[in-house]
Amino acid sequence: MRNHILLALLACAMSSMAWSQTLKGKVTNSNNEGMPSASVIANGGTTGVFTDLDGNYTLNLSEGTHTIDYTFIGYAKESRNIELAAGQTLLVNIQLEEDAVFIGDVVVIGYGVQRAKEVTGSITSVDSKQITAVQTPSFEAALQGQAAGVQVSQSSGVAGAPSLIRVRGVASVSAAGDPLYVVDGIPITQDYFLRGNSGALNNNPLAAINPNDIESVEILKDAAATGIYGSRGANGVILITTKRGRKGTSFEFSSRAGLATPATLPNMMSTEEYLALRQEAWENDGGTGYVWLPNMTSAADDAETRKEAYLNALGTNTDWVDETVGTGIKNAYSFGARKGGDRYNFYGGISYDNNESYLLGNSYERISGRANLDFSPTEWMTVMASSSLSQGRNNRIDAAWSGGLGDAMSNALPYYPVRYNEAEISAGGDTLHQEGEYFLWFDEWGGTKNPTAVRELKRWRSTENRSINNVQVIVSPVEDLNIKVSGGFDYLHLRDDQYNPGGLSITTDLGSANRYANYVLNWNSSATADYYLELDDAQSLSFLLGTEFQRTDNYGYSLYYPDVAGPVFEVDSLLTDATTVNRTQNNPSQHSFLSYFGRVNYTLKDRYFFQGTARVDGSSRFGRDNRYGFFPSLSAGWVISDEDWFHAEQVSFLKFRSSWGRTGNAALPDYARFGTYSARDNGITYAADSILFPLQPENPTLRWETSRTLDASIEVGLWDDRISLELAGYHKLSRDVLMNVSTPASTGFTNYWDNVATILNRGLEFSIKSRNLVGVFEWTTDLNLARNYNELVDIGNYTPDAVSGGTNDSRVIVGSPVGSFYLVEHSHVDSETGLPVYLDLDGNETYDYNNDIRKYVGDGLPELIGGMNNSFRWKNWDLSALATFSFGAKIFDSSAKRQLGVVSGWNMRTEKLDRWRQPGDEATYPRLTLDETTYSLPSGFPWWNTSLFVYDASYLRLRNLTLGYNVPQFQAAGRNFNSFRIALNATNVFTITNFPGLDPEVVRDFENAQDRNMSPNVTYLTPPQERAFTLSITTNF
Amino acid sequence: MKLPTYLLAGALLLGLASCDSMLDFEPGDVILAEDAIQTSDDLQRLLVSSYDVLANLYGGRVQIINELRGDNFGSPDNSLDFNAVYNRETTFFTGINGGTYTDFYYAIYRSNVMIENFELVSDLTEAERTRMEAEARFIRAVCHWGAVKLFAQPYGYTPDNSHLGVPLRLETSQDPLPRATVGEVYAAVVEDLEFAAANLPAENGVYATSWAAKGYLAQIHFLMLNWSEAASYASEVIASGAFQLDGDLDRFETDVINAETVFGIISRIQDNRSTWFRDNLRSDNNPSPQLSFSEEFNFFMSLSGAGDARSNWINNTGTRFLCNRFNEKEYFNVPLVHLTGLHLVRAEALAEQGIDLATAISDINAIRDRAYGTGANDLSETATAEEVRDAARDEFRKETICEGQWTDQLVRRGVMGEAIEIRGAPWDCPGMALQFSNSETTSAGFVLNEEGGCL
Repeated sequence: MRNHILLALLACAMSSMAWSQTLKGKVTNSNNEGMPSASVIANGGTTGVFTDLDGNYTLNLSEGTHTIDYTFIGYAKESRNIELAAGQTLLVNIQLEEDAVFIGDVVVIGYGVQRAKEVTGSITSVDSKQITAVQTPSFEAALQGQAAGVQVSQSSGVAGAPSLIRVRGVASVSAAGDPLYVVDGIPITQDYFLRGNSGALNNNPLAAINPNDIESVEILKDAAATGIYGSRGANGVILITTKRGRKGTSFEFSSRAGLATPATLPNMMSTEEYLALRQEAWENDGGTGYVWLPNMTSAADDAETRKEAYLNALGTNTDWVDETVGTGIKNAYSFGARKGGDRYNFYGGISYDNNESYLLGNSYERISGRANLDFSPTEWMTVMASSSLSQGRNNRIDAAWSGGLGDAMSNALPYYPVRYNEAEISAGGDTLHQEGEYFLWFDEWGGTKNPTAVRELKRWRSTENRSINNVQVIVSPVEDLNIKVSGGFDYLHLRDDQYNPGGLSITTDLGSANRYANYVLNWNSSATADYYLELDDAQSLSFLLGTEFQRTDNYGYSLYYPDVAGPVFEVDSLLTDATTVNRTQNNPSQHSFLSYFGRVNYTLKDRYFFQGTARVDGSSRFGRDNRYGFFPSLSAGWVISDEDWFHAEQVSFLKFRSSWGRTGNAALPDYARFGTYSARDNGITYAADSILFPLQPENPTLRWETSRTLDASIEVGLWDDRISLELAGYHKLSRDVLMNVSTPASTGFTNYWDNVATILNRGLEFSIKSRNLVGVFEWTTDLNLARNYNELVDIGNYTPDAVSGGTNDSRVIVGSPVGSFYLVEHSHVDSETGLPVYLDLDGNETYDYNNDIRKYVGDGLPELIGGMNNSFRWKNWDLSALATFSFGAKIFDSSAKRQLGVVSGWNMRTEKLDRWRQPGDEATYPRLTLDETTYSLPSGFPWWNTSLFVYDASYLRLRNLTLGYNVPQFQAAGRNFNSFRIALNATNVFTITNFPGLDPEVVRDFENAQDRNMSPNVTYLTPPQERAFTLSITTNF
Repeated sequence: MKLPTYLLAGALLLGLASCDSMLDFEPGDVILAEDAIQTSDDLQRLLVSSYDVLANLYGGRVQIINELRGDNFGSPDNSLDFNAVYNRETTFFTGINGGTYTDFYYAIYRSNVMIENFELVSDLTEAERTRMEAEARFIRAVCHWGAVKLFAQPYGYTPDNSHLGVPLRLETSQDPLPRATVGEVYAAVVEDLEFAAANLPAENGVYATSWAAKGYLAQIHFLMLNWSEAASYASEVIASGAFQLDGDLDRFETDVINAETVFGIISRIQDNRSTWFRDNLRSDNNPSPQLSFSEEFNFFMSLSGAGDARSNWINNTGTRFLCNRFNEKEYFNVPLVHLTGLHLVRAEALAEQGIDLATAISDINAIRDRAYGTGANDLSETATAEEVRDAARDEFRKETICEGQWTDQLVRRGVMGEAIEIRGAPWDCPGMALQFSNSETTSAGFVLNEEGGCL
């Protein structure tokens, strides 16, 4: 409104001057309805008018060229460069397109909205177009490269896998380090570990959200922005606003079809290569005759048996990678309708998305529906209701360590046939295996393997039902006072059904079925009151006070049917069959947050902005003495370019802002503080007597993990905002960081939650948006860069082994980043002996591999990340190319230590051919051996955990390339098609990297939140990302 | 309505949520520690939970680990963990040693909780309290002893036993504790067991009795080279009449506690604690079990000649020497202290002292008679002390096939100065002591075992 007032004053002042050139026209919305009160501003504010009730405007201008901006709240700004000859009257009709929630003008902040100019915190807005422009199965992946300081690592190639998002580095160790996700005001359930890492996949709690329903996403980065979410803002907040109805009737439809292929594939050895290297290893170890072969012969077999098996094996050469990988087909349809009147607005959307990965048998299907209704029964009251219902069905396969392509990269040796080529008859004449029967083998953990057989025989489906709802009542009893009361309910039900037929376990049973069911119920209620107070012409204050209560209940159960014919979802009778089922109830748990918060904004002369927020949060996860945390923030902004004395021709906008604040994290298990014992009726007995036993030790001192953040930035607009740029810096010190430390087993417990660590994150962010070319041919460049320094400052009296990231050899090392690789350092291969040479703690060369000489050998945190988007527009065509990049991070290829290490029952990658063979050889890999002790590894431990497999993971990737054609407006079936766009999109077009493994950008499956924090950039048979090609059609009518 | 009314309404709404009790959630399916121990029944259940851990340890796992360190077993099939123990190259990454170590201290912790919390319970008689304390200390001793044998060099490795043992946990604490010396650990173990022997009843269902404590004391003193105490404790148990040498060699019986079992682990059909034996050694249903005997052991057994029923425990397949001892059994009870062992301990202890050889000889012959079904292979009544000792050792090795006791005896003989080599490495090579669990190393200053050095 203040804008309007200024404009009105401006218009009055200008009206006395007369120009004989006239610009006139009509501003319409996408339904061709005239838009009253739209702003038409020339040359950045030198003159301007509002449109009349029908949307018409007339503007008198001087002779020459002018830039005209057409704006209206809620619509994207349109700009035109015009040239007026003396006395000319030019007609320019403009259609404004609805845009993300007030992007560019107003941004969504916690519990409200704010004019962009007034924002004193660090917030990046991403609009719906950016979200849907990139074809991603889940919206969060589309945030990659869009915001400085927001590291989005894309999920692996498995359908339904989650991405990993870190806002300004990682500030947590054991408590979840993900940002808080808030959908339409409701902090949603975001548990990635409902099913652990079963099948090498973490569930993605964000996958149920239809990207087409999203109007905008705001990423809150600093304490001033996140402070209002105090308790859980320490790792950033991501606000998701869904679409709402608008005046008139409009529809949107989009459809896409595409293909998915692997971005890259491993080079595994053929039978001939594998056997040759195995033979060489055998001979190096002093073996004579032919080498023994896993699942065929053993070292103890006589020479003749070994020879026969070897020669026989040469007859088979199965490409197991080829057996597990193909082309996935994707298709998606989304339909949305908006309707609005004087009293109501409605948005409804439905979508179907079937997203096959390139892994055979794997797909994620989502059906979703959303209805958002706003209703104003009176002028002073509005009811806003939002409801979504979705089902995600994941047709699962085993991946990574669990099987599938992971097997093809490990235990599936090329001489194993997929099926028996001929019947196998025993000496006694019995048929052991029929012709055509699957050839099954055992891996080193005794698992029955054959990726083709497992895929075709095993039935596995995870189904997630999700509904996110909220109702908000807004009452405005007097002008400038709003009271909002809101209630939300987020329901998540994950059902995982598995069926293992008897044929896979080599038993005579029919097979066994499992169902794992998890429910997460999350209630939220809040009440806020905000009041705007204009003190005088130059000063205003706004206040927000609020309280919020959130409660989450988790429960679940599992069912096991030992001898049945099919999965639970197919054999309905199983659910009612009490005789064969084993039912286990999961431990239920609850937690709640109770919060009080407030915000005061003071605006002076429309160029000095001050904000203070405070939030008190209580969490049930802490005992009464440590329950409440106080999280204040202070911030200020100064729009220097609005100062009277500021006269820099080229600088159209200049703003400085700074903030300080405290935020917290309480993402630890619900009952970590309690000392507990098993239930008395736990059903466990010894010698038929029931038992009672301690489960975890008490920690009554558990308290909030808190971060103190100092942030400053400068925003600059140059040449009428042709170029806008922002430079920001921050310093964030997190104390009392929660660690689930391994405690000495002799205490009677092995783990203990405690506030132990101190972590420092500090960094710089830079972003620039440049409209390089304007006119008929437009070229815009967006570039953002971020550098983050992360250091684990203190971990008390613990050693690096006190906290580890799953099996990933990442540890807590003081002075190094969270998620550092702690390994024995490999130096080189001795050219005389062919043995690996290690470096001890003093840097001296040694042949002795020993856990005592493990050290920091790199970390997975990048030194520089960013994204660059270039978009071009020519007439109806547009082209955009998004490149993302990461420099300075290391990757630990945890599977390479077997694929390129001791010759074992794992197939090897062809790089292994570069091995030492005779004295004088300079080789990457040492002499081949079947015996891990040759490399000084402990016997029985072929896991060659050395820095040899820590690689530079720097990369530059053409993430997204889109070519679009916008069909000019047309009418069909009685409706006006305002936009009709056909686009061709390719993701992961190419990657430039020195990483010799599969994919330098990796999110493996994690064991838990701690592993997720600790082990970025560790790969373990992780399927590479997909490369997808998509054709899409989007239309509004 | 006027502004103040609305402000008031707003303030009321904000005030609605001001209730601390909305933040009080307690885990529903478990008991809070402070509520766990209320009655004597709770204490008894807690006590049984220590036996439960003991059963998880001694249902074959500790026995197999012990055998893998010795010379009775051949190279394991392909289990990485078993190979690590066999090659005496465990690290804190190997799972089997870490898990075993942890279990010992689970049982010790639970025992300590018992001992510290009797005052929480009002319905406890003095006799019950004494019995429970004695049982708790019995379990604490068995576990400390079990741990110190696996995770440290043996008693006698240094003359004053000042070499590092394992942490000695005699009270509950969440603080890290350094390793006590082996001498300190043995002293505490003996003290606990003496208390148990004095205060346990002679009969106690399937749980520890005074005889069980004395049986352990005999075994422990034997390893400490305290021959007289070893023989005397063994004699007490043997003379008690509470246990009989069964005519049947099979001590691992299903649903029946063998008559010579002084103390052991109970398996039931729905609660099988013998799976480590069954799954890794049983050979009738599995052509290639993980574990088999060494060639040397097969040769040793072949020396006993025809008629020795114990020879049937070995199945020579031509390539491996499989174990028949657990065949055709799905679940079975596992004896830990038995009369056979005590007879042979006594025989050897007497022979070492050179006294009462007649008793020693009769001990040996009782075992031989049962094995051969005849007295034809009896040791002569005029056998020398050395002959008695050697016979006792041989019989012990045969009788305790897979029972995990032989390696202790080899190491003891090493301590006594014999030139004992186990599969080519000295009895006291560093890797004989398993590496500690990873979690023990997480606080600064804990001294780990030296790794490897046995190849």
